[in-house]
Amino acid sequence: MGVAQDSSADPPKKNKQNRSNDGKQILHSAIDKEFLAAPIKSATDKFALLPEFLKVRGLVKQHLDSFNYFVNTGIKKIVRANDRIVSGVDPSIYLRFKDISIGEPSLTMDGVTEKIAPHTCRLSDMTYSAPIKVDVEYIQGSHDQKTRVEKKGVVIGRMPIMLRSCSCTLYGKTESELAKLGECPLDPGGYFIIKGNEKVLLMQEQLSKNRIIIDMDKKGNLNASVTSSSERIKSKTIIQMENQKIYLMLNQFVKKIPIMVVMKAMGMESDQEVVQMVGRDPRYAALLMPSIEDCAKEGIHKQEQALAYLETKVKRFSFAGASSENDGRVMTVLQDVFLANVEVCQDNFRPKCIYVAVMLRRIMDAILNKDAMDDKDYVGNKRIELSGQLISLLFEDLFKTMIAEVKKAVDNILTKPSRSSRFDFAQCIIKDSITHGLERTLSTGNFNIKRFKMDSKGMTQVLARLSFIGCLGHMTRIKPQFEKTRKVSGPRALQPSQWGMLCPCDTPEGEPCGLIKNLALMTHVTTDEEESPLISLCYCLGVEGLEVLSGEELHTPYSFLVLFNGNILGKHRKPQHFAAAMRKLRRAGKIGEFVSVFVNEKQHCVYIASDGGRVCRPLVIADKGISRVKEHHMLELKAGVRTFDDFLSDGLIEYLDVNEENNSLIALYEEEATTETTHIEIEPLTLLGVIAGLIPYPHHNQSPRNTYQCAMGKQAMGNIAYNQLHRMDSLLYLLVYPQRPLLTTKTIELVGYDKLGAGQNATVAVMSYSGYDIEDAIVMNKASLDRGFGRCIHMKRYCAVNQKYDNNTQDRILRPNRDGFDSGPMRVLDDDGLAAPGEIIRRNDILINKQVPIVTRGQFKSALHDSEFKSVPQRYDGPQGESCVVDKVALCSDKHNNLCFKFLIRHTRRPEVGDKFSSRHGQKGVCGTIVQQEDFPFSERGICPDLIMNPHGFPSRMTVGKMIELLGGKAGVSCGRFHYGSAFGEPGGHADKVEAISETLVRMGFSYDGKDFIYSGITGCPLQAYIFMGPIYYQKLKHMVLDKMHARGSGPRVSLTRQPTEGKARNGGLRVGEMERDCLIAYGASMLLYERLMISSDPFEVQVCRVCGLLGYYNHKLKTGICSSCKNGDNISTMKLPYACKLLIQELQSMNIVPRLKLAEA
Amino acid sequence: MEGKSYQRLPRVKIREMRDDYMKFELRDTDASVANALRRVMIAEVPTVAIDLVEIEINSSVLNDEFIAHRLGLIPLTSDRAMSMRFSRDCDACDGDGQCEFCSVEFHLRAKCHSDQTLDVTSKDLLSSDHTVVPVDFSDSAGMESSEQKGIIIVKLRRGQELRLRAIARKGIGKDHAKWSPAATVTFMYEPDIRINEELMDMLTLDEKKAWVESSPTKVFDFDPKTEKVMVVDPEAYTYDDEVIKKAEAMGKPGLVDIIAKEDSFIFTVESTGAVKASQLLLNAIEILKQKLDAVRLSEDTVEADDQFGELGAHMRGG
Repeated sequence: MGVAQDSSADPPKKNKQNRSNDGKQILHSAIDKEFLAAPIKSATDKFALLPEFLKVRGLVKQHLDSFNYFVNTGIKKIVRANDRIVSGVDPSIYLRFKDISIGEPSLTMDGVTEKIAPHTCRLSDMTYSAPIKVDVEYIQGSHDQKTRVEKKGVVIGRMPIMLRSCSCTLYGKTESELAKLGECPLDPGGYFIIKGNEKVLLMQEQLSKNRIIIDMDKKGNLNASVTSSSERIKSKTIIQMENQKIYLMLNQFVKKIPIMVVMKAMGMESDQEVVQMVGRDPRYAALLMPSIEDCAKEGIHKQEQALAYLETKVKRFSFAGASSENDGRVMTVLQDVFLANVEVCQDNFRPKCIYVAVMLRRIMDAILNKDAMDDKDYVGNKRIELSGQLISLLFEDLFKTMIAEVKKAVDNILTKPSRSSRFDFAQCIIKDSITHGLERTLSTGNFNIKRFKMDSKGMTQVLARLSFIGCLGHMTRIKPQFEKTRKVSGPRALQPSQWGMLCPCDTPEGEPCGLIKNLALMTHVTTDEEESPLISLCYCLGVEGLEVLSGEELHTPYSFLVLFNGNILGKHRKPQHFAAAMRKLRRAGKIGEFVSVFVNEKQHCVYIASDGGRVCRPLVIADKGISRVKEHHMLELKAGVRTFDDFLSDGLIEYLDVNEENNSLIALYEEEATTETTHIEIEPLTLLGVIAGLIPYPHHNQSPRNTYQCAMGKQAMGNIAYNQLHRMDSLLYLLVYPQRPLLTTKTIELVGYDKLGAGQNATVAVMSYSGYDIEDAIVMNKASLDRGFGRCIHMKRYCAVNQKYDNNTQDRILRPNRDGFDSGPMRVLDDDGLAAPGEIIRRNDILINKQVPIVTRGQFKSALHDSEFKSVPQRYDGPQGESCVVDKVALCSDKHNNLCFKFLIRHTRRPEVGDKFSSRHGQKGVCGTIVQQEDFPFSERGICPDLIMNPHGFPSRMTVGKMIELLGGKAGVSCGRFHYGSAFGEPGGHADKVEAISETLVRMGFSYDGKDFIYSGITGCPLQAYIFMGPIYYQKLKHMVLDKMHARGSGPRVSLTRQPTEGKARNGGLRVGEMERDCLIAYGASMLLYERLMISSDPFEVQVCRVCGLLGYYNHKLKTGICSSCKNGDNISTMKLPYACKLLIQELQSMNIVPRLKLAEA
Repeated sequence: MEGKSYQRLPRVKIREMRDDYMKFELRDTDASVANALRRVMIAEVPTVAIDLVEIEINSSVLNDEFIAHRLGLIPLTSDRAMSMRFSRDCDACDGDGQCEFCSVEFHLRAKCHSDQTLDVTSKDLLSSDHTVVPVDFSDSAGMESSEQKGIIIVKLRRGQELRLRAIARKGIGKDHAKWSPAATVTFMYEPDIRINEELMDMLTLDEKKAWVESSPTKVFDFDPKTEKVMVVDPEAYTYDDEVIKKAEAMGKPGLVDIIAKEDSFIFTVESTGAVKASQLLLNAIEILKQKLDAVRLSEDTVEADDQFGELGAHMRGG
């Protein structure tokens, strides 16, 4: 650990102070003195936990954990729930799934199965998947000769495997083993490879399932809503208060139902009991009164009456027709759809009634006290759906479909009167539907699950491989629950509960601002945990079950309701004791580390949660403000005797979710802890995410600047992975000489950005130079560029396929003709007809000398003659005038077994005027001009800057962090030690203080303020001012002039309108748009306007009939214009129109609108 | 020559001279001359550098352009450069720049046969001309560092091979930094530091010490015996004004008077090794002369003579 040398002088002093402070505390409180006298640790040492945490959990652990859970537990549960296929024809014929497992990722080619590595899949456009194997037991034969057969390892399909998950070949591999497999050890995994593309299943943000949420709708009515989700059904139940009356809204009913009717229908016939259940407070009774009266007015007193009333309101299936289908539907609706999360056992509706009562009580609380409303944006009310859950949903759907298909196929066979072969159930299992379903969904990102009416698009994205950090950032991204178009500020605003869980900086600008979020560094997202042991534990710890409680007893004062994952378990008389006991068990490792216990004093509830999707983070436990993690623990950690998990199991550290954080007082630093403090942060810098962690001194910057940098860091060029030169991405940007930042942060080291950097340390002079530096443009030193600053490699992939056709013909590739007329563009070709690696290639050179058979349909043909082929060489369409190089040529076979060629074309570019650069503080700028070194200013020491930045970039942006980066960088290069600038790192020693930096600078003979005495390179005279100069880490962004520069004279036109095409790719024109047109009109430049909009665009000569005003045509034989409606050519005038105008006239005519032109002499 | 003469006779005093480093004083001239000299040294003194690379085999991890760029930046001994021809105006070859008058050919062949990575360095470059070879720092540097291997070009692992032919040509730093013979050329105005002894004597010992300390560089020293502040190294002064500010803060403005002497400069020249630092200066002066000659002899100048009058005579060296 590179702790600052300069600052190492400070800590002992600080420690002493701490100790003396604590000495006072001991005097005040009469606790075990020996215990308190133990050495108190300074926050610096706790940092070692962070790398340890990342070693154990990794940066994308949430994805991996969730996928592992699916593979190990989730998939088994699904199969256990649907384990039988029973024939509809003969019920004794069945197939039973006994077990399911996911094998090793492998590839079966021509019957031979071999293991595959992910990199092979990337290169050859395959899906990285493993066989899904089931153990089955089934009946063989039919009619009389039935035998029960068991079969193991039957493959029912292939499951795409998440990289680095427990089913992946890379799991638990060392660095050298990974290198052998062609994998980058710094790659975090957590994505899939589908048909050679790396796909990420983004985390999905959702509102909590099975929880009561109280909120106000647009009309100002109070709503209590529950989104229920059970294994079978998903439903949304809303109880609404409108005009003092309370109603139920459920999509199964055609209109709002008075809530009392529902209660009565569930057997709660006594109004008094309902009131008791809600609570004895007369205010509650008063609020409930109108609803009770309403119900009485309807004349509903008995359960039967209520059911009869509901029967009329229930939605009818229009297609069902017969009333028998709909009979008794109310009961099933109430049982299964209404509050589906509360289970009804043996027609016992009491739990459901209590649940409704609690909902009512919450509504009334909210009426009496507005604070009791729930905040939908509160992170504790949110769940994050992870890839494992999504895949599990998908798999379940596909598995059920497969079962249905198999059943259909089996029934088909069994109904056939005569069969040639013996019936074998196992043969009927269809493999393709699951494989294709999974593959298609993951590659398109369109999740279509009919069961839950789920149809969401864009769930998967191609992993951004523009830079290493962009790839990491993509994996921590959270997709919003709402549409981006909603113009609301609430969900976009920064939530206080986001602290430490979601990065406050990393969000895009513009439309999705604030909706797309990113996880913070230490955040973990939970996966589901087994519920039943926890429930029985709760009862053991003194929770009184609902069965034994009367409505009256439910809400006795000082007793709290206990809710487990949203379901009411019962009540507890000593909630704090109960919570303490649960926490103790959790710290002792008896129950899962992610179980959260939250005592809500306001609602008189204890919430226990073990469901998946909660965000949580580790914190150090403190007893009365004194950290449980002691010096010796950290020493053990350093010695390698102790791991992060040991800290957890020893109860030194625990995970808190957002709700439980409300029951704790968390001190930022140990020094700030008071006796009430229950937890201490591990490191304040973990508040930020991975990408924001790259910014040095982010806490000195204006906050939007950090957000801008988060967006730009993803566009910075640099190294992508250790295997970057073995990849065949469609587009790759690499830096020739990437460097590690001189001013680093702890996050940079943890993440590996120091190994795969994306920028260079440029010596920057903050001064004005030449006027080519206005509006954030930077002036660059030509000699620096000559020496390799900002030089980048741009690699692009071109593909070609050797297609096979239906008539047994296929494309062919010919040896190039070395002295024919085409020999020029063919010079890069090798003898095999493909471009040779290492050859310099220019625009319009031929990449592949391919010929296609002229006839590709119809009857079979063999041995085609040369004349039956036509040449279709593929040409390189790179930038004009640049010389690129063929980097690699790869051959593979695609899924149709066609031979596939991939060419990687490399282009090395040096920066030019207009290329975009940025520092790490959201200060982007383009290169304004490139200046000779001798013209550049220089210092007495001979230091000449690499680039010059205009000082106007500072005052309005307030990026003080950039200034400190410059100072720290300057001190760093002069004293030979990397300086640190971690977020909020000054107290912990993870960021060098400006004071210390200045001291170093003075020691090295520089001015304390980082300014130098500079001479002009042009005149040799000293400059008037001292210049702030030093190294700043600069990123080269992917936006380069060469890719964007475009101009055209005449060129292609669109055939429909005959106007010039649009866009660079189509060599299009530059549009004189409406606003430009307005300018020309206002100026009066009519001839220019005429020329731009007509002559240079789409001039067209038309024949207009002066009589009828319609367009005619020109008869070439008679050499006159003829009007087709007047049937003569007497009154024809010739005039010029834009072709688009003529098109409009004709299109209008086709719609029965007749535009007539009235001509007059001009 | 009627009128005033603008002629001055600059003096050069060499303070320190090593093969790759030189420090000298330039006196009795002004910033324009000093700066012209500096600019010429950086941008106009010709050297030889690899300009064309033909790669035969490259199975290393670095791509062809990468290696070519690295080769170009290797300094080659270019004592012959002044007498060489630019390949663009070489009449011996038809502009392809591959003749003995304007180019030097290099060959590099390296293949790694062992399990240890092989460093391909500038020493592996075989020159066709013994006067133009990659700069070797091991002998020029005073201290014999254990094993100077030259400038690393690429590292090869087992089975990788690099085979290429390179053509070095004459060029100047203006075209590409690889032809610049100067690593550092900088100058400073010689400071003239005068301590006002009267005011200084009014300071207490601690104040004197504090004042001496206030300079980030070691310009002044306090002699404990004589209790006097002395200027030990005026050139260490970086014109940072710290001592002046300190004096003002102490309520003693005018304690020290520092002015830059406008006619004397202290040059520091560091060479890349392509030419010796001393030779670099001589070459620069030579080129500067040539450039001035070019101005003087051009027809424009003769025409401009009438316009500039006396100045024109000066331009012609009068």
